[in-house]
Amino acid sequence: MEALPIPTDTYKLGFIGAGKMAESIARGIVRSGVLPPNRISTFHPHPSRRQAFESFGVHLLAENDDVLEESDVVIFSVKPQVVKDVVLQLRPLLSRKKLLVSIAAGVKLKDLQEWAGHSRFIRVMPNTPSAVGAAASVLSLGGGATEQDGDLIAKVFGSIGKTWKADEKYFDAVTGLSGSGPAYIYLAIEALADGGVAAGLPRELALGLASQTVLGAASMACHTGKHPGQLKDDVTSPGGTTIAGVHELEKGGFRGILMNAVLAAAKRSREFSQS
Amino acid sequence: MAGGEEVEVKPIDKEAFNLGFIGAGKLAASVAIGLVNQGILPPSRIFTAHRNPESRLDFTSVGIQVYQNNHQVAEECDVIIFSVKPQILKEVILDLRPLLSQNKLLVSLAVGHKLKALQEWAGHCRFVRVIPNTASVIGEAATVMHLGEAATVNDGELIADLFGAVGKVWKMDEKLSDAAGAVGGAGTAFASIAIEAMADGGVAAGLPREISLSLASQAFYGAAAMVMKTGKHPAQLKDQVASPGGITIAGIHELEKGAFRASMMNAVVAAAKRSHEMGQ
Repeated sequence: MEALPIPTDTYKLGFIGAGKMAESIARGIVRSGVLPPNRISTFHPHPSRRQAFESFGVHLLAENDDVLEESDVVIFSVKPQVVKDVVLQLRPLLSRKKLLVSIAAGVKLKDLQEWAGHSRFIRVMPNTPSAVGAAASVLSLGGGATEQDGDLIAKVFGSIGKTWKADEKYFDAVTGLSGSGPAYIYLAIEALADGGVAAGLPRELALGLASQTVLGAASMACHTGKHPGQLKDDVTSPGGTTIAGVHELEKGGFRGILMNAVLAAAKRSREFSQS
Repeated sequence: MAGGEEVEVKPIDKEAFNLGFIGAGKLAASVAIGLVNQGILPPSRIFTAHRNPESRLDFTSVGIQVYQNNHQVAEECDVIIFSVKPQILKEVILDLRPLLSQNKLLVSLAVGHKLKALQEWAGHCRFVRVIPNTASVIGEAATVMHLGEAATVNDGELIADLFGAVGKVWKMDEKLSDAAGAVGGAGTAFASIAIEAMADGGVAAGLPREISLSLASQAFYGAAAMVMKTGKHPAQLKDQVASPGGITIAGIHELEKGAFRASMMNAVVAAAKRSHEMGQ
């Protein structure tokens, strides 16, 4: 059956699972003007979570069933361990008219579609910097999701960072890289700060510089279109301080370690999805 | 320095100058033969000397005159290349000093003897240091040049053209000599080791030795040519061949795990350091 297009100017969005990720996404949507808050609804039993959403104008409803009935686009943002039960429970209300989205790590489209009873599902793997609007989100479209559906959801997640569309087979690697990646970088930031302190800087200054340096370098990589190898060349002058530091990183096998980290996390992601 | 007088430097006549090699060894032979084979100089304008001229078949077979005495070479030639072993260079230059006027352009191929010393021994500063590497014998040298104080721009071009016959030439300040020698000179040995190791890997993976070595050599040659000819960053070239989850990136991962890059950096830094120590 042909899927009815979601009306882009009037559609309503609902979050099943009103946790931190849902909040980040909702805030991003409202901040960027993708949707006004009165077209967003969710439910949570706890007052503090309700307050968090109400504070920027999102509708809090009595139960998940209501959120579903109200919404054209539904984002399942519950923890991966419970997503199966939640989808099965709501199945009667999940008509093909609704575009379904899951952000549950490690939960495959095949399973989501089976539980929902149809394939108008989009799987998204965002990451934690959604909280600051700097997410890296990868989307994979289920069989019944149209190209417009993909564009709509890309726009939603575009309000909290950058989006990419990819085949689901890449999702373990995506998890290992952008999913877990922020943690690797937190380690690097802390270590850089420690280095600064070791070199004589006060901690606060060292940490501020470390964070901004990583942010700046990442921005350079994103915005200049230059290969990171070229960017490295651009700042390593002959016999200078930077190349001395780079040499230490190479001696320590820094590159290999980062490769190992991504591979290990990707492998773990694969193990989870097979169990 | 001789007298401290200002002497007008007479330009070398590019079309008619005679080229002499003091020291008729392998390096001199490869340069001389390269010049003749590439048609850069006719053999009639190239000279060298040896106690036993008949023994220098590599020179004589291409029509180069081999005198019995270095003095004859120094007298005959306008551009004189000192290609003797570094240990005897000083005494050789001092011995020929009366014949080495500032009208003659002097060149030293010796590793380790700096321009300051050479100029002191010769009595003037019209000296150029040229440091080719082993691949001059096949015309693929990486040659580094340092100009002495009285060597003119034309002198530099003339020498660059000569050594262009056996490979590529780079002009640079002498203070970069240790580092340049570490990369261009010692670097050929590092690359040879890498080639052999790759060939060993091929054998370990089941290839016959000969094929493995040929493939390894050609892979290196091709990769080097890609860097030089495409002008692309080596990291970009690496990206181009390392497809997702493929064989190349699996191999690269091993290199990174083994801190291969650091090994290469360490090798070059160590060689440059040693060069510096030896020059003290």
